[in-house]
Amino acid sequence: MRTEADVRLEGWLDGYRPIPGVPDELFPPGGRSPDAWTRLLGALAQFPPHEFEDRFALATRHIRDAGVSHRIYGEDNERLWPLSPLPLILGQGEWAGIAGGIAQRAALMEAVLSDLYGPANLVAEGHLPAAAVTGSQDFIRAMRGVAVAGSRPLHLYAADLGRGPDGRWWVLDDRTQAPSGMGYALETRLVLTRAFPQLYNAMNVERLAPFFSTFRAGLADAAHRSDPRICLLTPGPYSQTYFEQSHLARYLGFLLVEGDDLVVRDGEVFVRTITGLKRADVLWRRADADFIDPLELNGASRLGVPGLMEAVRGGGVVVSNMPGAGLVESRALLAFLPALAQRLLGEPLKLPNVATWWCGQARALGEVSERIDRLAIGRAFVGHGNAALAGGPRLLADLAPGDRALLEQDMRARPIDYVGQEVVRLSTTPAWRDGKLIAAPFTLRVYAVATPDGWRVMPGGFCRISDQPDARAISMRDAQVADVWVLSDTPVERVSLMPRADDVRVRRLTGTLPARAADNLFWLARYLERAEATLRLVRALFIRLVESHAERHETLDRVRDLLVEGGAVDEEFEGSVPAAGLLALCDSEQHGSAVRLIGSARRIAATLRERLSEDFWTLLNGLDVRLTGCAADNATAALDHAQDALDALATLAGLAHENMNRASGWHFFDLGRRIERGINTCRVAKALATDTATPSDLDLLLDLVDSQITYRARYLEGMALAPVRDMVLLDPHNPRALAFQIAAARRHLESLPHLREDGMPERPLQLLRALEGEIESAQAATLPIGRVAAFEDTLLTLGTAVADRYFLQGSNAVRVRKLGGLA
Amino acid sequence: MIYEVRHLTTYTYAKSVPFARCALRLALMADQDQSVIEEAIEIAPTPGRLTRHIGSFGEQVDTALIETPHQEMRVLATARVDVHRAPPLQPLTGEGWESVRDQAFASQTLVIGAPAHMLYPTAMVPIHAAITAYAGQSFSPGRAILEAAFDLARRIRADFKYNPEATDVSTPAIDAFNDRHGVCQDFAHIMISGLRGIGLPAAYVSGFIRTIPPPGKPRLQGADATHAWVSLWCGPATGWVGFDPTNALVVAGDHIVLAVGRDYADIAPISGVILGPGKQTIKVAVDVVPVDESGLHAAAPTRAIPAAA
Repeated sequence: MRTEADVRLEGWLDGYRPIPGVPDELFPPGGRSPDAWTRLLGALAQFPPHEFEDRFALATRHIRDAGVSHRIYGEDNERLWPLSPLPLILGQGEWAGIAGGIAQRAALMEAVLSDLYGPANLVAEGHLPAAAVTGSQDFIRAMRGVAVAGSRPLHLYAADLGRGPDGRWWVLDDRTQAPSGMGYALETRLVLTRAFPQLYNAMNVERLAPFFSTFRAGLADAAHRSDPRICLLTPGPYSQTYFEQSHLARYLGFLLVEGDDLVVRDGEVFVRTITGLKRADVLWRRADADFIDPLELNGASRLGVPGLMEAVRGGGVVVSNMPGAGLVESRALLAFLPALAQRLLGEPLKLPNVATWWCGQARALGEVSERIDRLAIGRAFVGHGNAALAGGPRLLADLAPGDRALLEQDMRARPIDYVGQEVVRLSTTPAWRDGKLIAAPFTLRVYAVATPDGWRVMPGGFCRISDQPDARAISMRDAQVADVWVLSDTPVERVSLMPRADDVRVRRLTGTLPARAADNLFWLARYLERAEATLRLVRALFIRLVESHAERHETLDRVRDLLVEGGAVDEEFEGSVPAAGLLALCDSEQHGSAVRLIGSARRIAATLRERLSEDFWTLLNGLDVRLTGCAADNATAALDHAQDALDALATLAGLAHENMNRASGWHFFDLGRRIERGINTCRVAKALATDTATPSDLDLLLDLVDSQITYRARYLEGMALAPVRDMVLLDPHNPRALAFQIAAARRHLESLPHLREDGMPERPLQLLRALEGEIESAQAATLPIGRVAAFEDTLLTLGTAVADRYFLQGSNAVRVRKLGGLA
Repeated sequence: MIYEVRHLTTYTYAKSVPFARCALRLALMADQDQSVIEEAIEIAPTPGRLTRHIGSFGEQVDTALIETPHQEMRVLATARVDVHRAPPLQPLTGEGWESVRDQAFASQTLVIGAPAHMLYPTAMVPIHAAITAYAGQSFSPGRAILEAAFDLARRIRADFKYNPEATDVSTPAIDAFNDRHGVCQDFAHIMISGLRGIGLPAAYVSGFIRTIPPPGKPRLQGADATHAWVSLWCGPATGWVGFDPTNALVVAGDHIVLAVGRDYADIAPISGVILGPGKQTIKVAVDVVPVDESGLHAAAPTRAIPAAA
């Protein structure tokens, strides 16, 4: 009897249309569907209608909230990678072939690099023309003849593969510079295991964790010291793959650093931390080599470390992959690899690469010219050549006649800049789109790491699925990312990155805090606190509007003034008080509006991803999205938005308080909050607790500092100036009072490392102790309200003093600049 | 001819600079055409650390780290050099340029000075269709390479106006080309871009020319500061030949080579980073004086001008 599941599965399969002449994973040519696919689809069909999609959507939302993103350079907003609910499935036998081919190719790439940066016998013996090498921007001449620390040019290699019309796998591209995508491979795995745990466990899918563990061990072995400090050198938050980098840094336990965090001293590299310089042993770079040292390489780079190349040459630091490793990514090289494999390894390539002709050789140019209409023409090297090819190889037939003529002219003038390539057709794999099972072209990125016993290949990968039905590789447009399941014939042992218990020394603090991270944590907290202050003003304003009383109008004007003072509303604004409240909530033009402040907090948090819990980020990201989309046009809606945002901020504060380790990072985070709250408390007290304050003013003030209930419980007599001032400013037991902030800030500063050797307090602490003394001895009844402005000033000065003492860019912000002029 | 070279660079900062890291490429190149008899580099303030290595194009690089707060940095390079470069071949012939081009494409060496290093565009010297077409007018099919290259240098000299005010160190070659003016660096970049555009290996040369011309000869442009010109690979037999588009000359005994690279950025005499806000100004003074057999030389006034030729 046919079950509902059978009907569903039949429906999926009936609608499935492989592209004629193109191999498909589900319907291999001449064969029957692999058991694994039948099992997988069968199991998915067991779910009631939509449940399989719902489960996947839920798991994906987890990921989306965690902010998986792929940034297009220059865009402020992160693009989300859509994930495919279906993995690419590869059997053990097929995988063995791929892994063997990749390991061989990685070894070949390493041999080519060692030769070209060493004796260059390949060139002298005529196996590789010199001009096929020098065209690469990643031929870093400064690395020639350098014995690299760690003694290998490559630690991590990746290749993009496609399955050709004959069912064989082909290498489309090599990645040796700084292969990306491993973090996404981890994330897609996470989503599928979360969505379909039983399915995953039942299918003997090879685990990824041992591969990462091997990678980490390999980098550690390359260093001179035991227990080395390994840093991931990132191009920064504007990098397309920044999320992935911070995710990997956290997963692997590496310190995420930017160029500004590092400094070269006496041939070694150090991280700037709040306790001074700390040695960096290994830099896993995700920045292109050209950018890592503005002194010796690209002088326009703002991402690098001046002097880094000197340290590399002297062996003072391991930079992985070696600067210049990107050389072997050139398309020109593909033409020579089959012969180079014979010459260097004494064996043919196990995985062929796309047949390629480098036009710099007369014979190859002749062959390309003969078959010009059947080949794709591409740039031989990234970065130069005809503009029409900037996006990748093209068929001449696809070019406009004018462009084609121009390209042919360029190829005649500088054939060295071009290659001709066979047009590869990609195979298809099942993908899920709009409730249907469809056949979509895909490419597969596979990774290998160097170990003392040879290259180890990650059993899985980064699979990109095209949204174009055109299966030619040159038309590939990434639309979705899929997990890659390598199935074992035997049950798979569950392994994670957990080392054996006796391998790990117990530590209670996780190293030293980079100065930049301290800076960011400090400002993250300040922006969050500032946003809370604005939102409390907005909430108080709309609550009072809803229950309007005439005598409160002056108080409402003061709210507006405070919003203007905080930068939430423009000084020139002449509209009504409610209109000002709406602007303060969601006018992105104003630097002090809630939406802007939360946006700033989110941007800073994005640079701290490896230090914040996922919950924290998810919540903040969600709040940012809601406020950005907020279109409140009436008091009730505005009130709802303000309340929602305040709830979220309270949860964030709770998360930070309950979950952040009480190490240096926490001290800076909470110090930022205390200083900012102190400043805001001074501001509102200065405006509302004046000598002529009305009960309505005082009532508002207590609302703003969240002390209404405490006050009413303590003073049954009603609103009076001195008690309100005491509660808001001087009471050390009220966690919203100025005195409380000062004491808390002082304790944070006392917990932070000191640099002075003479035992004297550093400037931030001096400032704070003086302020604390004055507040402790002040009396609410006699405190001149003018002093509050002075307290505020001291706190502002304190913020600057903290920056000067601990951060890279203090108030005397000095940036490394180029020596100017033509010397 | 033996020359004494004195090359003084002074950076002045509006505010104190606590940190500077500089790469100095100030040692004269020693090769078969010129022998360095003696040379010295003095830096003030004295660097805390000074290291030396051979750069990507065979040039000596001294890397200085200064952590003494300073408002002025002076770098003085002095040398005595014997230039014995042969006078240019007469007549200017050589192989057909296409044959040179094909041999460069097929060359089998990556040693320093190999033609393959100088075939490709760089960030500072990209290839532009307009400049390539301009250069192409001198390179008619089959024309002898030396003749064609000299013709190009001569045309640049004739078509472009020498104007130190018009461009600066960061002016892209295409701007100078479109406006038909510039200084030695611009003319060298334009000529290199054109030569590479048609597939020939061309290098950027920085150096000096003698300050006071020989009796009866005009004073050359660029004598007051570091100069720049072009070196073109003219086939395995002829090798590299210098062309000075600023003066429409084939390089011989009046030119002293500092360093050779793909463009200015590869071999800037002084490059580096400093920490600190505020304005900076730079002054460069160069004296190149021939020394006669008795070791005497005509006294030359030291001039200081704020830009290069």
